[in-house]
Amino acid sequence: MKKAKDLAIGRRAFLKITAGAAAASTVGLPQKASAETDHQLSTLIDLSLCDGCPDKKVPSCVSACKEINQDRIPQVTDPIPEPWPRKTIEDWSKKQDAFHRLTPYNFIYVHKAEVSVDGQPKTVFVPRRCMHCDNPACATICPFSANHKNKNGAVVIDQDLCFGGAKCRDVCPWEIPQRQSGVGIYLKVLPGLMGNGVMYKCDLCFERTVAGQLPGCVEACPREAMLIGTRKAIEQMAEARAKRMNGSIYGKTQNGGTATLYVSPVPFEEINKTMARKPGQPDMKTDVKRRMKGTDPLARAVLASPALGIAAAGAAWVLNRKNRTAGEE
Amino acid sequence: MTRKILTEKNLVVRHSALELLEHWAIALSGLVLLLTGIFELPVGKRYYIINVPGLGWSADFITSLYLHYAAAVVFTGAAMFHVFYHGLRGEQGLMPRKGDASESVTVIKSLFGFGEEPPMHKYLPEQRLAYAGMAFIILMLIVSGLVKTYKNIYAPDMSHAVLLWATWIHNIAFILFFLAFLAHMAAILLKPNWPMVRGIFTGRVRLDYARHRHTLWLAEMEPAPKQPAPAVEGALPVKEAEAFADDTEEDDLPPELEKPEEMPKDKPEIDKGA
Repeated sequence: MKKAKDLAIGRRAFLKITAGAAAASTVGLPQKASAETDHQLSTLIDLSLCDGCPDKKVPSCVSACKEINQDRIPQVTDPIPEPWPRKTIEDWSKKQDAFHRLTPYNFIYVHKAEVSVDGQPKTVFVPRRCMHCDNPACATICPFSANHKNKNGAVVIDQDLCFGGAKCRDVCPWEIPQRQSGVGIYLKVLPGLMGNGVMYKCDLCFERTVAGQLPGCVEACPREAMLIGTRKAIEQMAEARAKRMNGSIYGKTQNGGTATLYVSPVPFEEINKTMARKPGQPDMKTDVKRRMKGTDPLARAVLASPALGIAAAGAAWVLNRKNRTAGEE
Repeated sequence: MTRKILTEKNLVVRHSALELLEHWAIALSGLVLLLTGIFELPVGKRYYIINVPGLGWSADFITSLYLHYAAAVVFTGAAMFHVFYHGLRGEQGLMPRKGDASESVTVIKSLFGFGEEPPMHKYLPEQRLAYAGMAFIILMLIVSGLVKTYKNIYAPDMSHAVLLWATWIHNIAFILFFLAFLAHMAAILLKPNWPMVRGIFTGRVRLDYARHRHTLWLAEMEPAPKQPAPAVEGALPVKEAEAFADDTEEDDLPPELEKPEEMPKDKPEIDKGA
């Protein structure tokens, strides 16, 4: 009964806030990142409920995601232009069915973690996808602003603007975005010299959520291990469930906070031990710092620099006049 | 009062220490911004720049961002100081004047041996035009850069339309800034401009060069006779005028000085204020 109530709150809250969240705006200088507001959506992934869909070849969340995004990537050009001078080409067009890792054609996969809890073996299934960070470096550092965080919390790559430089993957602590070479705007500019395709990742089913629908993975999960709702509601729910199962939460503080909260009865340190970090298969280290946070004090100095320059000019001008007056006297 | 024309050293002061500081603060921080701006593009690994000794950090976008921000503080602060300080002082020597475009063509043609240079002020007409162009580019870079910086700290979810405008203005202005920098360096390669290069390092240029090329500037600095009616029946002989120049002041003065002929106008205001 309790579980059903939780779920109902999550889904009702989601449906109630989506329209408002899309239109929410921020005015004035906030104390914190405006993304950290109550208007944004968050998702909950309850690892005590996820069983990896043992009766299916492909877990439901993965197949639903694949189906929704099956036409996302256009026909890949053949041959794919060879980039110069480093000749890296990433082509997943002939392996579109791969579902055991993140690829440009697969935005979510389920990791199977064999762990030991109090000496007892236990299997935990961990769906992995973009965490939709509160202040995502992948978006803020994109040189073309092709990757952007929306008001509802979804971090979305505009595939019509992305040049596929993979900068977003380099700065993501989990290296989530995946590149498909041979597609995108770079083909129309200088394909040999600049760009190398388009980066793809989960966009939290942005179009669906704006339209008031649930993300595909949330909707498809047969055990309702995934939920979506307001930031506040999901945080409260995650706290309550973690307390109830004497478990822990992942995603609340990692990389400065994210819109994805995992709840697990097994410590994430143990789960992380089962994850060898590989391309397309992120680990789950608990100590994930937001590296760009270190640049914030200098960034504030940049914002203050026009005023500092003008104040210095005024002071120098006054000083100069005083000296001149003194000289005349 | 500081002498501006140093006849015995054959030099004339073209830039004050403060102006040199402004120029080099903007120039050096601008170069750091240019380099770290390039490294904010995914070029470090692709073009093997990371293999260049000392540039192993070129593919670390966060390290580049630290440097970009640090240089931006200097760049923006110095640019604002320049505009407001000289604006408050009413100094307009670098502002474009009417006819600069056509005069620039004449000067550039003369640099390649076609025709004669017209008499010029402290700054060449094309320098004044280049200044206006560079000022516009820098303004675009600063405004768009501030929007991007604000986004990085406070508003990663700011309006995508605003962000795209800021991003593309920043990117296009970055290319223009690079081209303007190349043009600036190209101007230095032209032999007739060489004497001015010394000026941007020491603040002084050769007096004979200035007399020859910046005739109008020197004419403004050369002494107007102090007792016009009786003394100037005719102009002073050139040699006398040069000797007299030792004690004269510049019209287009560096910050710490003022035109002598403006003193009487300013003085009552200063006295009132005091």
